[in-house]
This record gives sequence, C-alpha cells and structure tokens, in this order.
Amino acid sequence: MSAAAALLDRLGRPGDVRLGTAPALAVPRLSTGLVGLDRALGGGLPRGRITELAGRRSTGRTGLACAIAAHATQSGETIAWIDVDDALEAETAAAAGVVLARLLWVRPRGVCDALRAAEILLGACGFGLVALDVGDVARPCPPPGWPRLARAAERSGTALLVIEPRRQAGTFAALGLEVTGRRARWSGGPGRLVLLDGVDSRVMVVRNRVGQPGQSLVLRQAGA
Amino acid sequence: MPRIACLLVPDLPVAAVCRADPELAGRPLVLIEGSGPHTRVIAASRTARARGVQAGRHTVAQARVLAADLAVHARDTAAERSAAHALAEVAASLASRIETAADGAVFLDATGVMHLVASEAALAMALVTRAARVGLEARVGVGSGMTVARLAAEHGDGTEVVPAGVEQGFLAPLPLACLAPTPDIATTLQRWGIHRLGELARLPVAEIATRLGPAGTALVRAARGEDERPLAPVPLPAAVEEAVALEYALDNLEPLLFVLRGLVERAVTRLGLAGIGCARVELALGLDDRGRDARALPLAAPTRDVKAILGCLRTELEGHPPRASIVHLVLTAVPEAVRAMQLGLFVPPGPAPERLATTLARLSALCGPDRVGAPAVVDSHRPGTARTVPFTLPPAEGPGCSPADTVCRLVVRALRPPRRLEVFTERGEPVFVRGEGLGGRVVGAAGPWRVVAEWWGEDGVARDYYDLELTDGGVYRCYRELGGAAPPAERAAWSGSAERAAWSGSLDRWYLDGVYD
Repeated sequence: MSAAAALLDRLGRPGDVRLGTAPALAVPRLSTGLVGLDRALGGGLPRGRITELAGRRSTGRTGLACAIAAHATQSGETIAWIDVDDALEAETAAAAGVVLARLLWVRPRGVCDALRAAEILLGACGFGLVALDVGDVARPCPPPGWPRLARAAERSGTALLVIEPRRQAGTFAALGLEVTGRRARWSGGPGRLVLLDGVDSRVMVVRNRVGQPGQSLVLRQAGA
Repeated sequence: MPRIACLLVPDLPVAAVCRADPELAGRPLVLIEGSGPHTRVIAASRTARARGVQAGRHTVAQARVLAADLAVHARDTAAERSAAHALAEVAASLASRIETAADGAVFLDATGVMHLVASEAALAMALVTRAARVGLEARVGVGSGMTVARLAAEHGDGTEVVPAGVEQGFLAPLPLACLAPTPDIATTLQRWGIHRLGELARLPVAEIATRLGPAGTALVRAARGEDERPLAPVPLPAAVEEAVALEYALDNLEPLLFVLRGLVERAVTRLGLAGIGCARVELALGLDDRGRDARALPLAAPTRDVKAILGCLRTELEGHPPRASIVHLVLTAVPEAVRAMQLGLFVPPGPAPERLATTLARLSALCGPDRVGAPAVVDSHRPGTARTVPFTLPPAEGPGCSPADTVCRLVVRALRPPRRLEVFTERGEPVFVRGEGLGGRVVGAAGPWRVVAEWWGEDGVARDYYDLELTDGGVYRCYRELGGAAPPAERAAWSGSAERAAWSGSLDRWYLDGVYD
C-alpha cells in the first residue's frame, strides 16, 4: 500500500462521510428558575428560538411566564413583555419576583402591532427574553408573522416566549409547552375562612426541536 | 499668529432651495421674490448663469427665453436660515470658536484644531466633506486672518490653504472687485489705474485716508490681508431647526410626511455631527388660513433614527390633524446626549443604550408613548391602578436569585376596564355568574374582602372582592360595587340609555376585575 493510500485511510477519502453523525449544536439556554422544568427542557428556554406556552384560562400559564421573567430579571437580564390585552398587573408581577425596572412593558393595540413590536424588540439585540402575551382569547396571527419572528429571534439570540391559548406557530417554534389539568386548591372550610390557596397544573413538553419532547411535570402555583 | 478658516457656500439662497428639494440640483434655477413673468431674478444657479441668465438684470420671462427648462422658485428665507445654521454646525463640529457672517459664511479658529486633523489641508477637506453630508456644496479657505481666509475660499480651488507669510503673494493678483468697494471708490481707483489688490496694497495708508476716507483705508488694509477686528465667537443655538416653505398647500398626510422625512433626515444628520440624539421634536406648521399650529413631541429616549421620529410624527398628526392645509413647516429637534451606562462583568449585557433609545422611539411610534415603559406600582389604595414610567436600563447588578423546584406564584391577568357581570346570589353568596366570554355555576368561592379607598374624593371606591371558581374552568377575581359611582367607561357607555335609571339605582353591580392564571 502506498503512503498516499495509507494517509487517505487514516484521514478518510473524499465523499466518505456518514450522514447524521454531526454533533448536535449546543443551543444556549435561558434558565426558567424552576429546577424541574429546566431538567425537562434540557437547561431552560432555548435562546434565539420561539417557545410557545399554551394553555386555557386559569391553567397558570401567565404565572409560569412570570416565574420565568422573574428569574431572568433577577439574573440581570433585561426583558420585554408585549401585552396585547393590557393584562399585566404590576403588583402581582412584582410579588411574583419580577424586577420591574428590568422589564419593558409594551401594550400594543392588536396582534399585528404586537408582532411588529416583537420584531422591533428582537432587532434591538440585548434583551434576554421577549414575552409575547397574545391574550386570553385565541387570535390568529398573520401568516408571515412567525417566520419573520423566528428569523429575528435567531439573529438576536433572544428567547421569544409566546403566551397564548392555543399553539399556532407550528414548525417555527422550537419548543412547545402546554399547560393543562388545572385544579384550584382552596383552604379553610365550613365555619372557617376560605382562601384560594393556589392552582396545580401539568406542564407538558409537546414539541421540542432542541431536546426530548414528551416530558411533563406538575406545576404548583401558590396564591397570595 | 492666528489661523482662521472660512467655510462658505456660494449662492447660499440657491443652495438652500436645492438642499430642501434635491431634484433641483443641477438644473437651471432662478429665485424670485414676488410673482409674475416680469418679476426680476434675484439669484441664479450656476447652470442658469452658464446659459446667460443674470441675477438682478433679467426678468423671469427673459430668463425663460435664455433657458427653456428653467425652474423658477420663490426665495425661501427659512430654508436659507436652516442651511446657514447647518453650515455653522459643520464648523462647530471641528472647532469651538466660530463666527457667522451675515451672508452665511462661517469663520472658525483653526489654531487648536490640529489635534483633530492632520493638517490645515485635511481640515479644509474635512469641512467640505461634512458640509456635503448636510447637503451643502461648500468651499473652504484657510489663512492668517478672516479676510485672507474668505478670499481664499472665494477664489481658491475649493480647499485653498494660504501658508503664513505668503498672503501678499496670494492676494496680489486678485481683482479689485473681490473686496466689493463702493462704486465711488471703485471709479476713483480705476481712474488711478489700480486694478489688482497687489497694486492697492502698495499705496500709502495715510494718503488714501486723506483722499478716500475710512472706507479707503479699510480697503487698503484688506488688500494687505489685515483684519479690521479679531474673530468674535458666537454660541450656536442648541436646538436644530429645519424649515421649508411649500409652493402649494398640502392637505393630505402622506405628502406632508414625505416633506417631513426630508426635514427629519437633515436635522438628524446635523445632530449626528455632534454625536447627539434628538430628545424632543417641535413642529410648527404654517396654515393656509394664515393660522399657526405648533406641537411638541417628546420622544421616549434620545435617538437619531429617522424612521422612529417619523413614526411618532405620523402618530401625532393622525391623532390630531391640523385644522387647515399646510404651507410652511418648521421642525425643531431638541438635542440630548444619548445615555451611556456602565456594564457589569458578571451580568448579561442589555441592549446598547443608543439602540435601546431607537427601539423605544419606534415602539412609542407604533403603540403610543404612554403604552411603552417600565411598569410601576402605584402608591394608591385603589386596586388595579397601573402606571408606566420611562424605561431606562438600571445599573448592572449581580445575580440575586435561587431557583425553585416546581413552585411559582399565581398571578392575576387584569381586565382593564373591568367587565360587567351578572351574578345570581343565594343568601348573599354568589352561586351563578354570567358575563362576556364566561359563565357557569360557582364551585369555589372566597370572600368577600372589603376595599374602601379614596372615600374623600369624587371617585371613591367601596367594593367587596370575591375569588370565584366557575364550572367553565376559570378562577376569577370579581367585585361587587357598594353604591359608588360606576367606572368612567361604564358611565360613558350607559349615559343617555333607557337603562340608565335602573343602572344607577342598583346597588348590586358586579364586575370581573381579573382572571387568576
């Protein structure tokens, strides 16, 4: 065997590449602040990707989003919250641990404006998290919205968290979370003071392009 | 010996009009004051002069004979003022001591500028380049005095530098008309056979003073390159003003925004010379009915982003359109330094301050300035009040949190304004709830929690709050109004209706205030 052939054997011949053997790209993560959820997601929300957080009314999706926002702001991240329904309550957000000074609150007048605002915020580069709260009622987003947002998020490296009643970003979302199975907990009883103690719900990873889908965990949300 | 640079734009009135309307550049253009074909031309562009049009001599009709494609434009003093200020700002971007002449020429002290540019020739080139950025084709002369610098700018190659000690040699061949002597003195000097500055400079000053008086003496000194007085620096106004007079009245928003775009672009370029941003825009509109419309528009943060400023202007004009067509526009950009901040080593970097400012301005233009900011907790007993404060990046702080397991805090999605509910009660306890987008039997309830606040004012609050879980799956925060006035939005909706009497008479008004989520 010639020296050239031996060298080719050692280094590999041109075209002699096995497909599917490339190592997976490590996606930077934004920790959610919840150990169980971070474990289920493989480290947190993927930065530079769209994450959908879907759930019906009172399932606790806003509380979960606030918990993620709280951990991000406490870690020194600057974040933005796009609030189509003008539903964010400063008192409860602050009580949930969100550092309000690090939160840019944008209240657009419709879904189209909200998508545009998200694109502007992603273009600013430097926000750790942009939360897009589409509202309590399912509103369809214009078709070109999601690919544009996906590209903008990838360019900026910002985690885009979309809070909505139903998932609608489709293949443009890297991660899909669904909050289901709500159960309200009440304390007290007959003759005693009754209080809303909290809400338990189940968070399921229904789509995960950057990790393992199908994981789920029980999320406990405590009342005031 | 001081070194002075002179920055001037030949035919400033023509240049100002071409700056406001770049399509006129290169075309034969004349300016007039008044109207009609017999109006005399007061200024002509280089192209028009090449065709034989002479300012002060020809009328519009005569000029049209000489140049068939002649553009005739009314003189725009506001645009001239803006152009002169822009030229002064170009000079101020490189020198701290500047003086402006009445005809728009700018003199700057070039003595201490050498730490910014390599040489006087580089200074001249930098001034010409920066003037081109603000839309002006300028000429520069550098010399040991204001007279020499000015003559070098007017008669040099565009970036003429006259070294110290050779001023006489530069001035000597120039014609006498350069110094614009009065007709009497010019006639006298011609009779004496004096045609060049060099010949005039050789005449004895005392003899000239005897024969031609102080004006003659000043002329001889100027011919020798001596100044009558030193440079007298003047401070420039902080605000940048751009103005334009329209040829015809604008009654539509889109063409108005098209004109405004030019003004904003020019103003922003001028601010860029000093590296500052625009914090507030003031717009003064001259109306067709001889009225005036002035408005001030604070921006969320200092910015030089044309799109963001235009977006804010569009929002303002769409919301509050002027009452008549517009014939004149003055845009003033009030500057402020773009905020800088210290980053931390161990915290994630936030958005760059200048980029954040632009982002805030764009978001304000999109959503409205009162809908962008940082949320703030209002110091009030009234529940559900929200306020935003201007968003600025707080100083960097290290991480101060520890992760929880799977427990977080339940939050409330507020409904603004609160939504009217129908609530059926048994023995004072709610048992069934119906309203817009919700409805069902009550399966869990807590309350009432009484809130009485601001009872001393007209908009006092007296409410009983309940947490209700319904069979539709929602957990709601509701309240029952205790005899107080209905919210303003409700009052507006119900005013004048037949049900108003029943509405205001009822003491059991229930509202949905928020949803636990």
